[in-house]
Amino acid sequence: MLIALVAVLHVFVSHFAVGGGFFLVLTENLARRQKDASLLAYCRRHSRFFALLTLVFGAISGVGIWFTIGLVSPEATSTLIHTFVWGWAIEWVFFFVEIAAAIIYYKTWDSLSARDHQIVGWIYFVAAWMSLFVINGILTFMLTPGRWIETQSFWDGMFNPTFLPSLVARSAVSVILAGIFGYVTLPKQEGREKVARLAALWMIAGALVLPLALWWYFARIPQFSRLYLNGVLIGVRHAVRGGVAFTLLALAIALVFGVWKPRWMRAPVVALLVVCGLGMIGAGEYLREFVRKPWVINQVIYANDVRASQVEALQAQGVSHSANFLLTDDTSSAVYGENLFHLQCGSCHAVNGYRGIRRRVDGWDSEFAADILQHIPMMHGIMPPYAGDDVDRKALGGFLASLNPAWHFNITDGNRLEIGEQVFAARCGHCHTVNGNFRPLRGDFENQTPAQVQELFPALGSMSPNMPNFNAPDDQAQALAFYISHEAGKPLLHKPAPAEMPTGSTHSQLVRPGQPRTEVR
Amino acid sequence: MRTIPIPHVDPLPLPGPVWLFTALLLVVFTLHLAAMNSALGGGIWALWNYLRGRHASHPYSRRLATELATMLPVFLAFTVTLGVAALLFVQVLFGNFLYASSILIGVLWLAVIPLVMVAYYGFYYFSYTAEQGKGISGCVLAVSVGVMLGIAFIFVNNMTLMEVPERWLAMYRAHPNGWNLNLGDHSVIPRYLHILNGAIAVFSAILAEIGMRKMKMDAQYGRWIVQRSALVFAACTGLQFLLGMWLLLAIPRPIALALLLEPLGGAVFGLALMLVITAMLLILLGSLAQKPSSLVHLGFATSMVTLFLMVCLRYLLRLAYLRPYVNLGALAVRPQIGVIALFLLLFVAGLATVAYMLWLVTRSGKTRVIAAAPY
Repeated sequence: MLIALVAVLHVFVSHFAVGGGFFLVLTENLARRQKDASLLAYCRRHSRFFALLTLVFGAISGVGIWFTIGLVSPEATSTLIHTFVWGWAIEWVFFFVEIAAAIIYYKTWDSLSARDHQIVGWIYFVAAWMSLFVINGILTFMLTPGRWIETQSFWDGMFNPTFLPSLVARSAVSVILAGIFGYVTLPKQEGREKVARLAALWMIAGALVLPLALWWYFARIPQFSRLYLNGVLIGVRHAVRGGVAFTLLALAIALVFGVWKPRWMRAPVVALLVVCGLGMIGAGEYLREFVRKPWVINQVIYANDVRASQVEALQAQGVSHSANFLLTDDTSSAVYGENLFHLQCGSCHAVNGYRGIRRRVDGWDSEFAADILQHIPMMHGIMPPYAGDDVDRKALGGFLASLNPAWHFNITDGNRLEIGEQVFAARCGHCHTVNGNFRPLRGDFENQTPAQVQELFPALGSMSPNMPNFNAPDDQAQALAFYISHEAGKPLLHKPAPAEMPTGSTHSQLVRPGQPRTEVR
Repeated sequence: MRTIPIPHVDPLPLPGPVWLFTALLLVVFTLHLAAMNSALGGGIWALWNYLRGRHASHPYSRRLATELATMLPVFLAFTVTLGVAALLFVQVLFGNFLYASSILIGVLWLAVIPLVMVAYYGFYYFSYTAEQGKGISGCVLAVSVGVMLGIAFIFVNNMTLMEVPERWLAMYRAHPNGWNLNLGDHSVIPRYLHILNGAIAVFSAILAEIGMRKMKMDAQYGRWIVQRSALVFAACTGLQFLLGMWLLLAIPRPIALALLLEPLGGAVFGLALMLVITAMLLILLGSLAQKPSSLVHLGFATSMVTLFLMVCLRYLLRLAYLRPYVNLGALAVRPQIGVIALFLLLFVAGLATVAYMLWLVTRSGKTRVIAAAPY
């Protein structure tokens, strides 16, 4: 959550730092060629806003990302540093030039000649864009390391399969943001219409390139990443729709209030435009991060900062064998279970707040929780495998079960369906739907009575190595069977077509077909 | 589970030789310190002179505060920019130590980011309003300086904590949520005071140099700056000896001995002591004359060399602390020769570009008449 917040705000401002520099120097050039004093005055005012936003917030929030990733994913940060430290050193050179140029550009409107001032502006833009160029390589590497996996060569990692499309997309976003932020310092009187139209043109130009670049980008991402976009996952669906909506709304505002009626471009509209830009960036960053799950560096390090190469050892020897920071040496204590949660789940889940685990495990008892931990990669393909031994699973399972009071129902004919739905959500809904396209069960249970459905429950654990044992109390089992039978018996116009679900990688399953199941008692 | 919980070294080899990373770290950290000392020491100088300059009898103080006001945001910009480079290189060599200590003081460590923004915007506010001489500007500057003092304290805590892994586990078990400081370490307070006093001293030397340049335009004002800053530099340097002694006594005896009795550590320490005394004498002698002489330039240069030596000593102290846990020479290395060459090339080109822009600015100062035409 912290990374997301810092990253979205930084990306928002840092892309403006690239596009805005381009916008400034080109607009200054236009103003000087047309001898337009009001446009030149606008550039001058805009450069102050630009410097205050990018030099301070943009630069410091970039350092904030450094600080945050070191705290949340030190393993992944270390790997990135060991691979790309010289890339970052090169990026730092551009950053250094960029900062120096920005300060000089902003401070020398009165002292430098027109030619020299524009030279400094161009130096700023080239340095800023080159900084984006380098960072883009490192960012795209995390999803598509390409040939680096075999060669571990810097150049293979840097110029990876999504390097170019991402670079074009980010450049287009920078141009759009230059237009959006161009309105923040819109002149009140003279030159207002000219600037409004100019900024709108920048937005439209960027928005024309962006869809093509994104199409190219999504064509180059791995197969498992593309599957996240199949519409099954609600978060992804919202992000895609939100991103498109924000971009289209921004474009509509640019056309109406920028091109057609610049007089109407008032502060509330500009504020809305900035919100649209932030929404666009937020959706894009969310998707970029999401389609990489369960990895933080594809094939190398999982999202919870566990190295793929360490998983087997952790499963064989347990976390306590090698963990550095444990709150207790007693692996049977409740504290140990909580400690494991923070170590292995804390990168993506809080207990209550962001992706809160408490509501997700409501209805789990400790035995079921310990069992299902073996199958977490099956949950939408998002989750890394659980990296611990049986003792660890028992401890973590105990902690997860302790987060909610145990379920006790007084089931009647009136509430059976509703309670059955709750039991389904707790025990089956993480990996199945009845009539949806996420591993639908309708085909298995259509036209079966509740009694017939319930008969299958004891055998669930042995039906597939990816299924946990079923151990719910009888009354809950009855309600569940009633619910499944009821839902699967509903008449439907279209039968659900199972969607292919991402599995992340070959590493992402703890129990592989043919392997014996481990019982936790 | 291990009782001294040091995260393992990254399985990937180092992408360059240890000596190169060390050299780059020492150089960029010295530059970072020079910028940081200018921002913090300069902030304190500006605040004092701003308050003093509110009385009509101290016009030079007011003028100096106004001039420093425009420099402070630039100093802070380069503090951050150069700090990023130092952070990058220290992670390559000591990442597993730095990440662990940063997580232990995580909440305060993260607080550095918004705090820097507050200080930075405060500096900008002061630069826009200092000339008006209002009380609010002084208050904002005081907040910025106070925030920077806080940031320095957090940094000192983290940089000392990363050197004492034997303290980590107990600290984590006491407060696993990142609400820790390294106050149990007796060296934290003297080290913090040493850094603060050092910042004022270093900026005073820089200010003496600035004063020498100001003398070319306004001899009396320039001399006033040089003489004031020389006095503060001498006083702070004297105090720095006492603080340094306290720091040495606060460091565990075996580590202090290991640092000072080794030929390299002893030599750097001895040379730094001699140079700082030399710098103090040069700046004092140079500034006392009716027309401050070029001895001040020499003193300034000597103080900068001293700063570099102190950075080297700090690095050697870190190695002494971490000797039981780190052997940099044993790390696997696979140099990325082509990328290193490209970096060095671009580094030189980058410096040349900045120098070119500064030349454009300097040239414009001499030919400002030409730039009078608006287009």
